[in-house]
Amino acid sequence: MFKMKQTMLVIVLFLVASLLAVPVQAQEGSDPVITPVVCEEPGSLTMWVWDETWAAIIGASIDVWIAEYCPGAEVDLQVQPWGQYWDVLKTNAAGGDLPDVFNMSQDRFFFYADNDAILDLQPYWDMYGVDTTIWGSGLVGPYRWGEAGDLYAAPVNWDTIAMFYNKDMFDAAGLDYPTADWTWDDFAADAAALTDADNDVYGAAVYSEYQSGYPNWIAATGETPVVDAARTDCTLDNEDSIAALNFLKGLYDEGIMPGVSIMGGASADDSFNFWASERVAMVSGGSWKLPQAIDEVTFNWDVVQLPKHPETGRSRSIVHSVGYVASARTANPDLAANLILFLASDEGQMFFAEGGGVAPANPSPAIQQMWLDSFGDAGVNAQAFVDATADSQGVTVFDEVWDVMNTELVVQIFDLDIPVEDAVASVCEAINAELPE
Amino acid sequence: MTSTLLKFFGPTPLSRRKALWGMALVAPNVLGLFFFFGVPVLMAFITSFREWNAIKPARYVGFDNFERLATDPKFEQALTNTFKLIGLTVPIEMVLALGIAVLLNQPLRGRNWLRMAYFLPVVTSTVAASVVWTSIFQPRYGILSDLLAPVGLGETKWLVDPGLVLIPVGVVAIWQRLGFDMVLFLAGLQAIPGELYEAALIDGANRWQRFRNVTLPMLSPTTFLVVVLAIINGFQIFDQVYVMTLRTVPGGVGGSATTLTYFLYRRAFTNSEFGYASAVALVLFLLVLGVTVVQLVMQRYWVYYESDEG
Repeated sequence: MFKMKQTMLVIVLFLVASLLAVPVQAQEGSDPVITPVVCEEPGSLTMWVWDETWAAIIGASIDVWIAEYCPGAEVDLQVQPWGQYWDVLKTNAAGGDLPDVFNMSQDRFFFYADNDAILDLQPYWDMYGVDTTIWGSGLVGPYRWGEAGDLYAAPVNWDTIAMFYNKDMFDAAGLDYPTADWTWDDFAADAAALTDADNDVYGAAVYSEYQSGYPNWIAATGETPVVDAARTDCTLDNEDSIAALNFLKGLYDEGIMPGVSIMGGASADDSFNFWASERVAMVSGGSWKLPQAIDEVTFNWDVVQLPKHPETGRSRSIVHSVGYVASARTANPDLAANLILFLASDEGQMFFAEGGGVAPANPSPAIQQMWLDSFGDAGVNAQAFVDATADSQGVTVFDEVWDVMNTELVVQIFDLDIPVEDAVASVCEAINAELPE
Repeated sequence: MTSTLLKFFGPTPLSRRKALWGMALVAPNVLGLFFFFGVPVLMAFITSFREWNAIKPARYVGFDNFERLATDPKFEQALTNTFKLIGLTVPIEMVLALGIAVLLNQPLRGRNWLRMAYFLPVVTSTVAASVVWTSIFQPRYGILSDLLAPVGLGETKWLVDPGLVLIPVGVVAIWQRLGFDMVLFLAGLQAIPGELYEAALIDGANRWQRFRNVTLPMLSPTTFLVVVLAIINGFQIFDQVYVMTLRTVPGGVGGSATTLTYFLYRRAFTNSEFGYASAVALVLFLLVLGVTVVQLVMQRYWVYYESDEG
């Protein structure tokens, strides 16, 4: 009897706990990975982000920070639109007037760190007892600086790449939906079968832009795409890079992939919009595209991991993480670091997880599950993006070579029909000119 | 001392007061010009002799930036592209604007509407116009490819082909500039006294002879103004390049659409070479100045000022 009662109690407790689990999972379901700390002295900060949606999410978490951890603090959160963000940031840096806290990307970090414009957060991580190896190296590696590899940024999110495909087109062509173990050959065969030249419908568009496009295919060969990790050499003219590019060019030559001019531009968004308007059956796209696809796409679709290279057996995704950084000249470094700690903590990252868009960088399993659950109703395999983090490649390129490798190479090969070998030769020449000797 | 200053403002108290009022009224504009134009120009001049990445303190490097310019193939390319664009746009722009002005100077029905229509592009945002034109030049779905398909030019990659990209840039520049030039020409045409045409008619001059021997010479001061402004404008073409190549290869494949101003922008804001970019700005200034001085000298051989004859 006693035993029965005890069992009942456990069951009841479990049921009650599971009711609470969804909203408070991050706080009580498991130990938090990063715990915020109460600020020592409130003050005022300015903060810049480049996206309205982010501003809303970050604004909500800042409200919690002020209420729970730093009463009396003021944060002036401003949106500088992406189209002008970097120009305005650089102009403000020139005037010695950077915001206290702002968003940074991995390819631009180098410039600001090299010029001592960013606050070293490592002393704060040490003080707060945060082990910076909890974040994957693809997320934080590019934000480390100096001899000791101090971490200058807190990662906000992670982005990986997977294949968005139009299920209706697969059905119409009588093809099985792709699965995570598909290879480049399966992909090419599907793309060919899905092409309908008479109706101007293409099989796949997978080359545009550094993060969404061809570098993923180069990475699958085992090569580091575009620039090697030491930033000393252009890798596009290496054998594996050329082979990967030739694989993609083969699809373009056969009319399976559309050219840049056909899609109206060389950006990943141009490819994605082409897919969303049912002109192409498959497109490689980032996890940040999920909300837009769920909201706007009218046909049936899903995502699957990028196909595996037939020889290496690897499917590799370029991974990127936006960071929170503080200005080296902020008047309130302690307060700025305290805010960044909160924004990176489980509590601060919950808002991103619930938002159902950006995948939060905080590695807590509860937070990651919350993000996956936010797509619950859509019936989309968002797990493909999580799986893609397992074998992923960090960003090695930087500002000065961005356009050359992002658009110049793509247009030369996939629009002007210049042979891969010639295109990589001219692009590598331009890239090497910008690399340190 | 005081009396010299007083004399500077005027000989009598009344004229001094008037002068002070005048100065007070122009002060906001002059101060604005000084702080937002004069000071930056001066700073650019100083910066052109420095190495400055906008964050670290600037370092004086003497003429290094200019020496680098002299051997930079990308700068040479931008220079060539700029002159090509000027050569492409200025003559076409002049002929079209004059033609339209002559037509719209006739007693046509609805000519006020037509004048307005031709002037609209001038007051349209260049960025908005360039976005629309980009879609017109789109190789597969653009309107132009449908129009040119019968002559075998459908699916021409106007904005990507290094040999063609200056054409769409030039077309948009001309289209945007036409209305402004036309208004100047119209004003010039309307200032030509009617008796000159009457006299020419009595002398038996036909339509072409009247245009050639009356209109053109009488209009030459206006033509001079339009040429000078059009060339200066040609040196400053930037927005069209920026917007129309943004979605494919910024600045054109291999820099094929990069003009001097666009080159300057990229050096400053992408490569953080503000000293080098300022040197480009200084060279651009000297070029515009030089070309304008040459035109001023040349004008006496072809510009006819009525008042000179008395």
